[in-house]
Amino acid sequence: MILPLLVILLGLTMYPFGYMVYMSFFRYSLASWEKPQFIGFSNYRDILRDRTAISSIDFTVLLLVVAVPLEILLGMAIAFLLRDTFGERVFRSALLIPMMVPAVVAGIAWKMLYNFEFGPVNYFLSLLGIPKISWLGTQFFSRLGVILIDVWQWTPFVFLVLYAGLQSLPRDVVEASFVDGASGFSAFRYIEFPLLRPLLFVVLIIRVIDALKIFDIVYMVTFGGPGSSTHSYSFYIYKVGVSFGWDIGYASALSVLLLLAVSLLVSLLIRMLRLRETLEL
Amino acid sequence: MRWVKGIVKGVLVALVLFFFLFPVYWLVTTAFKKSEEWFTWPPTFWPSSWTLGNFMGVEGGFFGSATTAIATITPYLRNSIVVALFVALLSTVISALAAYAVSRFKIGGMRFVSWIISIRMLPPIASALPLYVIFSRLRLINTWWALILAHLVITTPFSTWILITFFNEIPRELDEAAFVDGAGVGQSFFSVILPLAAPGLAAVATLSFIQSWGEFLLSLVLTTGKEAQTLPLYLGRFITGWRIAWGPLAAAGLVTMLPVVVFSLLAQRYLVRGLTFGAVKG
Repeated sequence: MILPLLVILLGLTMYPFGYMVYMSFFRYSLASWEKPQFIGFSNYRDILRDRTAISSIDFTVLLLVVAVPLEILLGMAIAFLLRDTFGERVFRSALLIPMMVPAVVAGIAWKMLYNFEFGPVNYFLSLLGIPKISWLGTQFFSRLGVILIDVWQWTPFVFLVLYAGLQSLPRDVVEASFVDGASGFSAFRYIEFPLLRPLLFVVLIIRVIDALKIFDIVYMVTFGGPGSSTHSYSFYIYKVGVSFGWDIGYASALSVLLLLAVSLLVSLLIRMLRLRETLEL
Repeated sequence: MRWVKGIVKGVLVALVLFFFLFPVYWLVTTAFKKSEEWFTWPPTFWPSSWTLGNFMGVEGGFFGSATTAIATITPYLRNSIVVALFVALLSTVISALAAYAVSRFKIGGMRFVSWIISIRMLPPIASALPLYVIFSRLRLINTWWALILAHLVITTPFSTWILITFFNEIPRELDEAAFVDGAGVGQSFFSVILPLAAPGLAAVATLSFIQSWGEFLLSLVLTTGKEAQTLPLYLGRFITGWRIAWGPLAAAGLVTMLPVVVFSLLAQRYLVRGLTFGAVKG
């Protein structure tokens, strides 16, 4: 019964990945007629000297250290804000929208919002007396722009998960602490936060893994520009491998590194999930 | 003091909703704006007259890269529907079988489940390139099957995961009763378990549909023309033009977004459970 799934997943992931690792040791481009040529580790050595690759790693790391923590903090704050609020069910459904809307569609919306001359973002800023910002024109602002979209898209995910987590906490423990004279903050600090911590780690790792993969938004809103300042790692692989070069060998080497990073994080995630309990295995 | 707190809370809630909903609001209203109001200063927050021209096309066309939304969108819409329906169907069947085996007979156990999770988290760009090379040898590039197969990789792990938790909630005594009455594994699966898991199957089919519908990267690499390209690619194509006809593009975006929003509100309950791999019941 498990066979169809095994066939699909082995055939369409394990086999391609094996092929990719193999190809990463070759000089192989679909743009030329040359036969693949074995070149050992030199694709990997090239990465270290490739300034665009370094800059894409730089931007991806920036997403990890700026966007992800922001999402976690905001998501948690919103979860506490909306708890026991009138109409929380409606709000919860509404906040589902940013994360469910296909990223390409979100990209269209944000590209309009960021428009330099007529975009609403610059309009709102002008109400605060801030001059127009060229959101997609400078390295700093285009990077900030992509980070903002990521925060917009994924804070709701953190919120939804933590909100569900909050509701599954034992109520009586928190109420007992109030009876004992605890303030709202100390109930959070000493009871709710420690109980939520495992869940928080799971969310954090999932977000880190997803942030490593960001592609659609970059493609739609900045197309990696200006220059190469918002090339995310995935976007750079796409550029090398498909749109500008069909350099399968080098793109494979880049992908292998990404795969290694993600695999490490995934094994960490699996250890935290307590699968045996949730799945009764 | 209490009412001050109430007001502060109200303002914060309003700000949160504004930030998260405004981009969607902007897209939806732009889809109904006449071309004079796509870009104005100050921006047009409420169209002075609503039009369907962005959907149906206007006489003379628009000055821009997307001429009329609906006219050129049809093949892409068709591809999206076919691919997403097939993915939903196949993904549900394949993962129901696997989930039943894992839930009842512990086949593969922890090892298999962990493997499924890791596949679910893998970066799509890493499989896109090797799949391109393999599919081009099989002459599958730019066909529905290329997309269906590629999307199955994304949806089946997720669906299997959710269904295992569903099957686990169905009491084992029911299977046993069926076995005692002389049913085989297949019969008990089809006539006892599946009907009881119907809400789960529906949720899984819906979520697979959504994921396939919005998938962009794999489709971008594996297709080349309107014979197989899906809606997200239509949108991706026109946003890189030098002068963008925003109204029709927003209208096309709305068409792409609508089924997803409706379906995800329907399947909301199972979403959290699936996205966190059961770390929270949801």
